[in-house]
This record gives sequence, C-alpha cells and structure tokens, in this order.
Amino acid sequence: MSLTILLLVLVGIAAISGGIIFALLRGGSSPNAPHKKKKGKNVKGNAIEDIAEAAKDDVERVFNDDFREELRNRGRLHFEKIISENAMFLQQDLRLTTSELNEFMKDEITRTLKDEFKKYEESINDAKQLAIDSIQQTQNTIEQQRKALTQQLSEQLTTEKQHSLQRFEAHMADIVNHYVLEAVGEQIDMSEQLDFIIGQLERNKDAIIRDVQDGA
Amino acid sequence: MEEQAPKPRTQQHTSTVQLPNSVVSPMEVARLLREIEQIDDFFNQEALRQSGTPTNMPANSRLMESLVQNNQMNLLDATHRQALIQFLRETDAHAPVVHMSFSVDPPGKLTQQLAMWLRKNIDEHMLITIGLQPNIGAGCVLRTTNKIFDLSLREFFTEKRQIFIDRLHVALTEQEPGTAGPPQPEGVTA
Repeated sequence: MSLTILLLVLVGIAAISGGIIFALLRGGSSPNAPHKKKKGKNVKGNAIEDIAEAAKDDVERVFNDDFREELRNRGRLHFEKIISENAMFLQQDLRLTTSELNEFMKDEITRTLKDEFKKYEESINDAKQLAIDSIQQTQNTIEQQRKALTQQLSEQLTTEKQHSLQRFEAHMADIVNHYVLEAVGEQIDMSEQLDFIIGQLERNKDAIIRDVQDGA
Repeated sequence: MEEQAPKPRTQQHTSTVQLPNSVVSPMEVARLLREIEQIDDFFNQEALRQSGTPTNMPANSRLMESLVQNNQMNLLDATHRQALIQFLRETDAHAPVVHMSFSVDPPGKLTQQLAMWLRKNIDEHMLITIGLQPNIGAGCVLRTTNKIFDLSLREFFTEKRQIFIDRLHVALTEQEPGTAGPPQPEGVTA
C-alpha cells in the first residue's frame, strides 16, 4: 500500500516537473513568434505593417539581446532553483521512502523469521514432547516389567523356600534319626534302651491293654 | 468226646501257675509243653514197668527247672504234672502274644524284663515274639493283633519334630544378625 502511494508521489513530482519545464521552454520562445506572424502580415497591408513595424521596433528596443539574456539567466536561475528544490524534495522523499522501505522490509523479514522460528520451535517442542512421551512410556513399561519380574521371582523364591522347608521339616525326624544312628548308633547298647522302651510302653499302656483285651 | 469251641486268647486261666520271666516266647511254651508231656509219659511208662528195670529220667531243661521252682511244684507228683500240662496247653492256645521288633537281636535279659513289665501291666500270661527291623534305630516296634505301636527312636523324633523345628528357627534367628556362618561347637577355636 505504502509502495503504491510512494509511486504515485513520484509520478506526481515527475509530472509537475515536466509541466514546469515545458512552460519555461515555451515562455522563452514566445517573443519570436509574434514577430514572425507580424512579418507575414506586413505583406498584406502597409498600415498594419507600419504599426507592426513600429511595435516591432519598440519590442526590439525593449526586448533587446541583453534583456533577453537577462531573462534567460533569470529563467535559468529560477529553473535551477526549482530543479534544486524539487531535487531536494525528491531526495527527502527518496530517503523517507528508503527508510520506510527499510522499516517495512525489516518488519516483514522479522515477522517472517519470527513466524518461521515459531513454527520451528513448535515442531521442536512437538518432537521433544513426543520423544519424552515415548521415553516415559518405555520407562513405565520397563518399570512394570521389572516389578512383575521382581514379584514373580519373589513368589517363586518364597514357594521354593516353603517347599524346601516343608520337605526338610517332613523328613526332619528321619534326618535326625539317621544322624543319631550314624553318630552313636554302634554305641547304643540294647540294655541301655530298656528305660526308653519301658517309658514308651508306659505311654501306650492303656492302648495296648485295650487292644489286647478287645482285639482277641 | 465233645468238641470245644476255640477260646479267646485273653481268656482267664483257671490255674494258679505263673510263667517265669525266662519263658518269653510261644515257642518256649511249646517246648516246655513237649518236655512236661515227655516227663509225664516217662512216669506213666515207669508205672507200667517191672520193678528193678533200670531207667533214665529225661533231663530237665533250665526253663523247666525255673517253671517248677517258681511255682513250687514237684514233677514226681502226677497232680502237679497235670496242672502244668493243663496250664501250658491253655497258655499255648490262648495266651496273648505280641510281636516286638528291634534293630538288633536283643539280649535275653532285656526280653525277660520286657516280659515282666508286660505281664505285670498288661496280661500276666503275655508272650512275646522277637523280630528284627534294622531301620528303626533304637527302641522297638510293638505289634499286637490289631495295632502297631511304634516305640522307636524314629517315631520319638517324629513326635518331637515341632520342637526340632522351633529350636532350628531359634538358632537361625539368632544366627541371622551376625551372619557369621554355622555356630562353632564349644571349645573349638578358629
């Protein structure tokens, strides 16, 4: 938008400058035109030619070469002044336009870069979040599997321990008996077992009596 | 002759004869019965013989001597012989018998003491048969007609298993804080 306005301003300045230059050029050459026309008309009538000749002389006398040269100089100076002023305005406008262009380009580039960086940052963040989620999910899975394995191992260990303990406890009497017999079996005299046997018989006395009396 | 119904082995003896503790097994009772019957036959034959014929009386066994002496009997008396024969027949037929198994062959003194206890506490005519069962360790296994009484050291340990387990747990619990390995016996230094 601002670029269009700037172009319109430049076209306007150029048109104004052209008009001024055209007007000055036409103004510089106008004194000769009436003189030529009067020459043509002098052929048609004497009176008019005399008047015209007199006017011509007056004009020649008033607008002599020095006056014309002075007018030319004034016009030249005025033209140079206008050109200089317009050039200055043009320079200011160009500077302003350049500055605005720079600002515009800077803003546009900055905005574009910001948008791109924002998109890039969002992509990075998305990828980062995706990687974090994936890692978190993997860690959760590993942790669950570790807990399951730990629990399974613990259960198996406890079960095996219980089985071993039960087997050991179930056969403890045989183990102790075997150990005792291996250790002191040959040193146990049968006569020394009498008290033990009598004691055991005393403990089962009632059952033996009942069985002997009723189980005939 | 009228046939008698079989009497139970726990039927009470009518005689007052007592078995000596040295007579333990039914085989010894049967041997005594044969012996006393031979003696009785001898005296019966002796009564039929003519006087002046030399004869040799059968020698009495140690068990027979013990049986006669314990019951204060005289084998020359026919009544006593008949009482002994009657008693031994009843004993052989009806006395309760238990079977006792030991890890090794028990000495006679042990079996006599066991017979004495059984006759004093269970039945006065109790007889014992002896068997071998090497895997029982110490003690014995008593088998009656219907039941088996395991009086061995193995069964004793089985009954005391909970005590072993408790002691073992106590020992392991005391050992766990130090974790210095199995406890050293007293007097043993590293």
